[in-house]
Amino acid sequence: MSWPVAELDAVRRLRALASAIPGAYVAERVIAAPFAVVWAVAGDLEREFGTFEPDMRDVTVESAGPDGRLVARARSRYGMRARFDVDLAPGWCWMQSRFLLVGLAATAVPEGTLVAQTGGVRVPGRAALVPWGVRPAGEKALARLAARVGERAS
Amino acid sequence: MITTLVVAAQRGDTMAMNDLLGELTPFLGRICGPIALDSGPDAVQEALIAIFRHLRELREPEALYGWARAIAVREAVRIAKRDGRARPEELGEVPSPQDVERAVDIRDVLERLSPEHRAVLVLRDLEGVPEQSAARLLRVAPGTVKSRLHRARESFRHAWRP
Repeated sequence: MSWPVAELDAVRRLRALASAIPGAYVAERVIAAPFAVVWAVAGDLEREFGTFEPDMRDVTVESAGPDGRLVARARSRYGMRARFDVDLAPGWCWMQSRFLLVGLAATAVPEGTLVAQTGGVRVPGRAALVPWGVRPAGEKALARLAARVGERAS
Repeated sequence: MITTLVVAAQRGDTMAMNDLLGELTPFLGRICGPIALDSGPDAVQEALIAIFRHLRELREPEALYGWARAIAVREAVRIAKRDGRARPEELGEVPSPQDVERAVDIRDVLERLSPEHRAVLVLRDLEGVPEQSAARLLRVAPGTVKSRLHRARESFRHAWRP
């Protein structure tokens, strides 16, 4: 006899975390592909992240801790470099630098995979984002991700 | 450990917020699941939203779990009532012993109770919260907690204590 336990999928988790960050917007989109296919792109920091995140040109993982926590260096399209703490797990990526935040989540749904993105320029040292442009940036990232998944599948 | 995490999250470290979310989620899932049933995932999400929006107001980080429990129970009742089929606040029909014996798991019996009854069961029987505290948390008189618990517990005692 066991009591029912409620599970929290990664997209709900992202909504909850983003709600605590003033200025954050959560973009969501369903991609008509299986979770494994979508996450093979979305979760590939070094080879794929720069193909869909608008302000990321390339990402290099520098070290990995036993708890799945990574340290990465990223370069923006404008040449700026940043050190990120990263929590990466299937369906979940949360990255924080002094000036940027990026969150990405994916969960399987009957129509394929529901993906969600949040992030932007951080108010330095605070859990808050400069709110300008976060919505189009998030939607653009997910549109690019969907296109990239489509390219890989074809 | 948890205190350090709370303080770092309150200071705006989103990695600490991420870790705190990971710590709290299983705990909240055990509270919201039996109260909100099918709406449990939404209840956990809404509880986490309320917790993180008010985290800076938590003066004693070591009180995190008690504080989070109170928020989770209230959110689970709210979401269950929002999404639920209309059920009376007071138990209209106590399941018969035969019904209880036929129940394949505790969920079958929980579904016959109102969200308020399920909340009392979770607080008193699952979490071991004292009657007075449960009444304060649910914003009802201690006598109401007692009567709800008595009726609900009677109705499916056999289901969880074989």
